[in-house]
Amino acid sequence: MRGEGTIFVAHRLLDEQILDCDGKRCGRVDDIELRGSPPRIAALLVGEALYPRRLPRRLRRLARRLAGPERWGASAMRVPWEEVDEVNAAIHLRGKAEDLGLGEGDDPENWMVRRLPWN
Amino acid sequence: MKSILKIALGIIAALGGFLDIGDLVFNTQAGALYRYDLLWAVVLGTIGIAVYAEMCGRVAAVTGRPVFDTIRMRLGFGTGLAALIASTFVNLLTVAAELGGLAIVLELLFDAPFSMFVVAAAIVLVAVVAVLPFGGIERIFGYGGLMMLVVVVTIFHQSPDWGEVAQGFVPSLSGSTLYLYFVVGVFSAALMPYEVHFYSSGAIEEGWTESSLKENRLNAIVGYSLGGLLACALVIVSGYLFHPLGVEPNDLGTVALPAQGAFGETGLLLALGGIMFCVGGAAIDSSFSASYNVAQFLGWEWGRYRGPRKAPRFTFSWLIFLFLALLIVESGINPVEITEYAVVFSVVALPLTYLPILLIAGDRSFMGDHVNGRLANLLGWTYFGVIIVLAVAAVPLLLATNGGGG
Repeated sequence: MRGEGTIFVAHRLLDEQILDCDGKRCGRVDDIELRGSPPRIAALLVGEALYPRRLPRRLRRLARRLAGPERWGASAMRVPWEEVDEVNAAIHLRGKAEDLGLGEGDDPENWMVRRLPWN
Repeated sequence: MKSILKIALGIIAALGGFLDIGDLVFNTQAGALYRYDLLWAVVLGTIGIAVYAEMCGRVAAVTGRPVFDTIRMRLGFGTGLAALIASTFVNLLTVAAELGGLAIVLELLFDAPFSMFVVAAAIVLVAVVAVLPFGGIERIFGYGGLMMLVVVVTIFHQSPDWGEVAQGFVPSLSGSTLYLYFVVGVFSAALMPYEVHFYSSGAIEEGWTESSLKENRLNAIVGYSLGGLLACALVIVSGYLFHPLGVEPNDLGTVALPAQGAFGETGLLLALGGIMFCVGGAAIDSSFSASYNVAQFLGWEWGRYRGPRKAPRFTFSWLIFLFLALLIVESGINPVEITEYAVVFSVVALPLTYLPILLIAGDRSFMGDHVNGRLANLLGWTYFGVIIVLAVAAVPLLLATNGGGG
């Protein structure tokens, strides 16, 4: 049973697209936080800062240098498992992306997005 | 009746993404060098893209996942990232080739300096995308591209020896290294992955559901047959006209000459107009594809249907890709040469994006009743084998033939 659960987590959750309650695409599951024994899913982790650790070991250090948090100030967001409404072809959240700190790069209030010529 | 019309229009729109500068360049050269001998490779490539596109369209309609949505899930982050980098590199080369091709055609039509027309072509593309909705963009280039049918009519005007033409459809691998290079080129020009990535994202843009599966199958069968017919016609008219003369066409304008030979100025204008719409549409498809892939891999909001306000990163990266392509073309590299590299490298990158779709399309837990049937599985895996062989052979052949220069 425990084996099946692990497979489910890796197979159906990791790398999956996340949508908020309005259907807005707001990131992918870059890592999963497990807690307790037997382990349960505590939260989904989202953000560029997690990319380096998803790479093969040899590339990790290089990736940390290029894209790691020290350099870019990128941070990972934590989405508590209770916020997940439904898992089907994508992961649907109960709340809005902004309230969970997701999809910031597409947020019209973001300083970079505000400077785009059509905004 | 109305639904038949709608389907017909949909097929034409889908056709707009089939014929591009890769087919125009490789097929015309193939005809000039080997007459009708490579027609079988065109057919092989055309069936390949029909199989791949049908699966991608079906996966998109049933699960709502375009190609790069599936990549990370099936390949993992590291390999997925490699697939993204490879595809993006090839896409950028392709956008540059199409943009350069568009500028060449404009130069021939209006007789003004090339470098000016590259910028003009890019501005026109941005304007078209800014003004028109997704369906409108597809339709304009799809319908305009139908002018290329003049090439099919040209065959009947030339009336070649049909026995010889028919022999070209029999596969043959005996020949020089250059011949093998052209087998790879003609096959992969028909099966450019960006076309399929664009097609599957387009399915989401147009809100496809399970009820769109019939349309998807018709696009794959009828649409790509028509596309294949056009692609074969390019080989035949070139083989008929250029092969006896020993002409080796090295620029895009040559593609329009057989039609001019048959129908004078009207033929020339129709062919050039057709090339303009095909290549212009392909410039949009390939640049969109580049941007779709990045956005889908990283989980950004994406799509023309969302608009630039709701999908700012997607829109901005699209502009960046177009701008980078503009720089590549302005650097003075011949667009025909860029095309050859784009086509050959695309088959190298193809297995990485083809495999995840094949796995998902065959996975009942994702697809339910619409999972790959026996035929789709057989064709799907057979083509995976073919693609792997060509991907391995492509770069050595490119080097051995000095980029097709012999």
